[in-house]
Amino acid sequence: MYNSGRSSRLRLFLVLMLTGVLLASSSCARVEQGNAEFFGKIDPPEGQVLRYISGSEPESLDPQIGTGQPEARIYMALFEGLAEYDPKTQRPIPAIAERWVIDEDNSEFVFQLRHDARWSNGEPITAHDFVYTLRRGLAPALAARSAYLAYEIKYAQGYNEGGAFVRDPRTGRFVTALEAAPDDETKGAAAATAGTNVPADPDALHEAELSKGGEDTAPDTPFHRFIHEPTRLIVPADGAAREKAAKANPKLAALIAGKEFVPVRAEDIGVEAVDDHTLRLTLAQPAPYFIGLIPHSFFRVVPRKAIEQHGALWTRPQNIVTSGPFKLQAHKPYNEVVVVRDPMYWDTARVKLEKISFYPFEEATTMLNLYKAGEVDAIYNHTVPASWIEKMRPMKDYMDAPENAIEYYMINVTKPPMNDRRVRRAFNMAIDKQAVSDYRKVTKPLTAFTPEGIFHGYPRPKGDDFNPEAAKKLLAEAGYKDAFGNYDPKKFPVKDVEINYNTTETNRQIAEFVQAQWKQNLGITVPLKNSEWKTFLNMRSKLEYKGFARAGWVGDYLDPFTFLALFSTISGDNGTGWFEPKYAAMLKEANSEPDAAKRYAMLGQAEAYLIDVQPLIPLVTNATNWMKKPYVKGLYPNPGTLHAWKYVYIEHDPAKWDRGVPDMTPNADE
Amino acid sequence: MLRFIIRRLIVTVPMVLIVVSLTWGLIRLAPGNFYTSEKKLPPAVEKNLREKYGLDKPWYVQYAKMIGNVARLDFGNSLKYESESVNDILKRTLPVSATLGLLAYLLALIVGISAGTLAALKQNSRLDYASMALAMLGISLPNFVLGPILVLVFSLTLYWLPPARWGGFASWNLLLPAVTLSALYMAYIARLTRSGMLEVLRSDYIRTARAKGLKERDVVLRHAVRGGLLPVVSFTGPALAFLVTGTVVTERIFALPGLGNYFINANLNRDEPLIIGIVAFISIAILFFNLLVDIAYGFIDPRIRY
Repeated sequence: MYNSGRSSRLRLFLVLMLTGVLLASSSCARVEQGNAEFFGKIDPPEGQVLRYISGSEPESLDPQIGTGQPEARIYMALFEGLAEYDPKTQRPIPAIAERWVIDEDNSEFVFQLRHDARWSNGEPITAHDFVYTLRRGLAPALAARSAYLAYEIKYAQGYNEGGAFVRDPRTGRFVTALEAAPDDETKGAAAATAGTNVPADPDALHEAELSKGGEDTAPDTPFHRFIHEPTRLIVPADGAAREKAAKANPKLAALIAGKEFVPVRAEDIGVEAVDDHTLRLTLAQPAPYFIGLIPHSFFRVVPRKAIEQHGALWTRPQNIVTSGPFKLQAHKPYNEVVVVRDPMYWDTARVKLEKISFYPFEEATTMLNLYKAGEVDAIYNHTVPASWIEKMRPMKDYMDAPENAIEYYMINVTKPPMNDRRVRRAFNMAIDKQAVSDYRKVTKPLTAFTPEGIFHGYPRPKGDDFNPEAAKKLLAEAGYKDAFGNYDPKKFPVKDVEINYNTTETNRQIAEFVQAQWKQNLGITVPLKNSEWKTFLNMRSKLEYKGFARAGWVGDYLDPFTFLALFSTISGDNGTGWFEPKYAAMLKEANSEPDAAKRYAMLGQAEAYLIDVQPLIPLVTNATNWMKKPYVKGLYPNPGTLHAWKYVYIEHDPAKWDRGVPDMTPNADE
Repeated sequence: MLRFIIRRLIVTVPMVLIVVSLTWGLIRLAPGNFYTSEKKLPPAVEKNLREKYGLDKPWYVQYAKMIGNVARLDFGNSLKYESESVNDILKRTLPVSATLGLLAYLLALIVGISAGTLAALKQNSRLDYASMALAMLGISLPNFVLGPILVLVFSLTLYWLPPARWGGFASWNLLLPAVTLSALYMAYIARLTRSGMLEVLRSDYIRTARAKGLKERDVVLRHAVRGGLLPVVSFTGPALAFLVTGTVVTERIFALPGLGNYFINANLNRDEPLIIGIVAFISIAILFFNLLVDIAYGFIDPRIRY
């Protein structure tokens, strides 16, 4: 269309335009570097108002429905539970429960509720509300995805799964779980409990137990006696599912023949309001970590009346009743969730912020633009892109701290060559974890399975070091060697392994980095394969992948068990096909240990065993990696980036601003 | 004319049916489900969810339910945002996308047609080269590049305009996204107008008009523009449909609560009712705007009669 003369003039014009744009952008970059203490405009909003980017649009404002961290952060403003996360350490601190007593073997919790806790409509919050909340959350009809977090509570799982007790129609006696246990387990257990299992007077046992407790122990009740009866057997209430289970287990089939089935009801689960201000939770087995779960969204109290009146629409601004330090003012999806201080909240005098706007944005560049322009005051974790880190890390508003989260590669141990432990170890030893971590820029190297720097006092085992020579030797031992017995990469079946990951830029970079390491250190080029997120999850959970699959895990609570439990069952999030009853037993035994230090030591041994078998390749411990303006105080880079908003405030005096990560030692500046 | 419109409206029904059926089939084929996430669900919880949303029913029951919903134009509740119905979401997000889209559309029309006309009238002048070079730039710069550049200059360097967020229907927040969105269309319209006008200006009826001694202004505005804009009209109909039904990239760059944002997330979330609702809505909108274009043709082009 254009002749050559015109097109060259056009090209000149284009070149000039682009140069102009580039110059403009590079010149503003230079201006920024001049005053590099903080990133962008520092201009505190007037009054006590916080504008926070909270991540993706919340699925729901119902704390028992939403499962993600973006939702959890908003729930922490609107709803309160028995306990709250400490703003610095993330350990449970009293909230609606003033104090609690845990029995010796960590299987029963008695919470004393404060008398002045109120809903946003002024009505009192009582122990009955918590009973309602837990029964609702576990109801099969609600189909709450975090219901599994409460499975530690006795009969909770049976109720949520639609189970039934087994009763003998003639005697009215219920079959116990012990009777149905596999024979090898029964022997030991039966011996241990023989004396107490069939007492002449069942009440005598409970009186003995009760006398052990201190003043705070709640009185005995008929429900308490029921819940402490030997654990009943639960089978599927659904006939077809039950027959299937019986077919697979002849012992079970014999036990349930001719019996009647009584569905597990909400009233059967181990949650009891002893009086208006005393709540008792009874667990199925000892779970020392359980108290760490209590501040989780799923356990935050929800309003019975509003839910029964409005159904799924109870979270609409005109219907919602809340229990937290803030109440909902407006919810504009994909735009903002506005909460304001609730004068009805029991501790409202302590709440400093008048208003918080949560912006549900996910685009990293967009949120950093808003942050830079001074339109928001803080952003959520993992938001600074790797390419910006070098520039941001020196800034005094960059928040860096280890996170209760890890990244690793799962190994499909069901297919050769990865069914050989030596091969798995060799591939692990051939990755320089320090280099991976340096490459990722915001992480720490991970050699074991639990994150580094999170669990204080936990004897974290150390995995194999980076050692390419030993790796080659292991592979030679596994049979990949030439005629002289030396390691020969050509013998390795490369076509049977892959690095699988879900399509994101970061995942691809790490996969390529690991691929390069193996190529360099082992001479093996493992192919890469990426898939869309849900496609990837499907493939991984069905073990349809070859070799390695990317995985990340964020701890549900602050205890190594939240990581170690992944491999305590063959199903769930295991993803590798590796399971040994020995490992599961080690974990169970550790959790039955009342002494915390001894328990940690036992968990440490279990972890050492896990990384020795190596069904996974640990890569990195994540870092929180977010930003806040210096005038935002009381917001700490804790291990889960979960902020108790009632402690947050805007400081208008520049002398008191945070310069760098604020002091994280507990109770340092309160 | 009326018969033509009725015939076209009747054809719309099977078209929409085919589109939603294909979409529904594709959602079925995609692995994973709306509740699939990093943390795997216990089988019982998964079963509870499947029962709650009727996913345990045979496929033809689910398909019939979906078609019934589309027929009643009531798409049911979103799976991901369970307290919201798809219709609520459409009602809330459409005005946002439509405002942005219309603004961009008007911007594109006004600037594009004027630039194209001027360029055609002053063919081979500096004005012609400059506007066509800018149009070239507009076509080749994707909006995910143009948007951030505009933000960099006007928000982060000059601090004139906000870098993102929705600020209401009449606010300066809309300016940068509207410009970003319109650039491509503006450029296209300018080029289409220019070539259309050039062709018309050389045609016999314009020569006749000039020979009759009409003023140049009348020749251009009354005769040339009408014919020269024909290619623009056929382009702008579907363009309008695309613009007002949500524009994923621009809405994400500027964090706007429009339909496009929901559409992309609905797909990633496998939120079937929401996907079906949005697809049905967009296909109806496109068919409708195409019809409008055909009707407009009847008025502008004397050669076309229905």
